[in-house]
Parts: sequence; C-alpha cells; structure tokens
Amino acid sequence: MAEHVILFAGPMGAGKTTAIQTLSEIPVVLTEANNTERHVADKATTTVALDYGEIMVSDEEKVRLYGVPGQRRFDFMWDILKERAVGMILLVNNDAPNPIALALEFLEEFSELNSRGGVVMGISRSDVSGGPSVDDYSAAISARYPELVVPVFTVDTRNTSQMRLALMTLIMNIEARSAFTLNGSTAA
Amino acid sequence: MSVPAHKDQAIIDNAATVLNEMRALCKSLVYAALLTDDGFEVVSLPSYHQTDGSRMASMASSMQALSDAVARELKMGSSEYIIIATQTGYVLQLRVPSQSLVLSALFGDDETLGKALSISRLSAQKMSALMTPAAV
Repeated sequence: MAEHVILFAGPMGAGKTTAIQTLSEIPVVLTEANNTERHVADKATTTVALDYGEIMVSDEEKVRLYGVPGQRRFDFMWDILKERAVGMILLVNNDAPNPIALALEFLEEFSELNSRGGVVMGISRSDVSGGPSVDDYSAAISARYPELVVPVFTVDTRNTSQMRLALMTLIMNIEARSAFTLNGSTAA
Repeated sequence: MSVPAHKDQAIIDNAATVLNEMRALCKSLVYAALLTDDGFEVVSLPSYHQTDGSRMASMASSMQALSDAVARELKMGSSEYIIIATQTGYVLQLRVPSQSLVLSALFGDDETLGKALSISRLSAQKMSALMTPAAV
C-alpha cells in the first residue's frame, strides 16, 4: 500500500486541527493544551505537539495527516515532523496581521517540503475580513519564489469537499512530480 | 480575561518557593521548572546546566501532551509521570494536580529514581495546595 505523509502547517488559529478533523477517517490524535495566548488567537486550546489523522484516497493509497503547532516556540516539532513528510498544506488565516508575510515565512521554514514533494496553500477565514485576495498571495509567492508552483485556494477548514480538493491537488502534484523525476532518470 | 500563570506574580512567587524547597530537599536536582500547559515557563531554578529555559518549557509541554495522548489512546487513564532515563540522570515530569501547570525536573545519576519521584510528587502537590484557595 502506498502511503504519503502530509503536514498541515501555518500560524496559530489558521484551522490546522479543524482541517485534519474534517479530513480524517479515524479519530484524530490531539495534543491540545489550554491556550494562554488568547490575545493572539481567541480559542480555548492550542496544539502543542501534533495532530494525527488518516484518510484513504484510493483502495491502495493511505495519507497520514500531521498537524504541527503554529507557534515558533514549538519549532522542534516542525523539524521532527517535516523529516518524514512529502508535502504540506499551508493554512493561513486571512484575518491574521500581515497574513502574506506569515505565508512567506512558513514557506521559507518548510522549503524542503516543496523541493521534496509539493505545497498547496489554503487561505482560511477569508469570509470574515477584507484581507488579501488569492491573487495577492499568488503574486507574493511568485515574486519571492519564482521557481515554485504553489496552488492557492480559499478554504473553509470545516468543509470536507474543499479540504479534499486541496489535499487531492497536493497528492496529484506530488505524484506527477515523482513520475516526472522517475521518467527523467530512466531517460537519462 | 484572567492573567496567564506565567505572568501572574503570585503564582510566580509560589512556584519559586516550591522549586527552592525542592532543591533544598535534593542536592542532585540539576534543573527544575514549572510551566504552563502550552509551554511557557512560569519559573525555573537557576541552573549550572546549559539549559535554554523557554525551549525546555516548550519541549516539556509537547512531551506532556503526547504522553496524555498515548494514555488516552490506550485507555490507560491519565498520564501520571513521564520519565526519561539516560546514562547521566533522569528527567521527571508530572502535572500539578488540578492546575494547568507542569513540573519538569532533571536529576543527576546519583539520585535514586524513587526519591526523585517522591520529591517531584510532593512538590507538585505543594504547588497545587498553594494555588488552591483555603476552604473557609
């Protein structure tokens, strides 16, 4: 059986835990702690180690879904989890202060995942604020990383079909890149 | 909105008292910290060890949450202790009863695990008692 490990990264409050709960076909393993940073994200709890879920995307293909904590003070978990991942769904809440800078910061931090597999970006909470548009994010990513192809979606992390679309886009990108690399090395 | 524990001076003072008493009871205590559930250091003992307190607090928070998740997954009840044993000592970690706080302590290898456990448990209980308003 083929398996992919996909990370969900992004700042606190972007909806990473919710996205994994939406997608997972098993009860999600959560590591929530009481959140003392209510001024940063007004929610009762926050992920302090990882979230874990699983989904079968075909009869022979399982995707392991790992969520990382959003706060930089947990970056040791980023290092541990990105070693085993082949791709990332980057979630950024559009009502965060300077969300484009946050997106670029996370892309930089997890850049090896793009070179290894692929990255898809989901903009959450785009309906609750007048933040940047999808085009704004795409333009900023292209300007900073002209070599990257990062599909950008607006997502409601509670919506199964929207999250499945983002996930399947990522899986297809990873598989296409893998096939291309394989064919390239065979041809050489 | 209440003041978080790591910014509450009364809690910080109580935590310092508990850790100082802990050190007085156990000379092999190399490092100890009380931290919030989400990884902020409330107070730590001055350490001769090269320890980045804020990083240790974050790692201790993750460990605590992971051990809770494992205990939950295996339906074993709640996690009481975490022990990391190495050639040069032990890291011992446990929750402060009834509070969103964790006690994490590093003991040298000249300490018995039993005594380290006992002192850690007593210190966590003391911290809990200090934070609980006395019954009228």
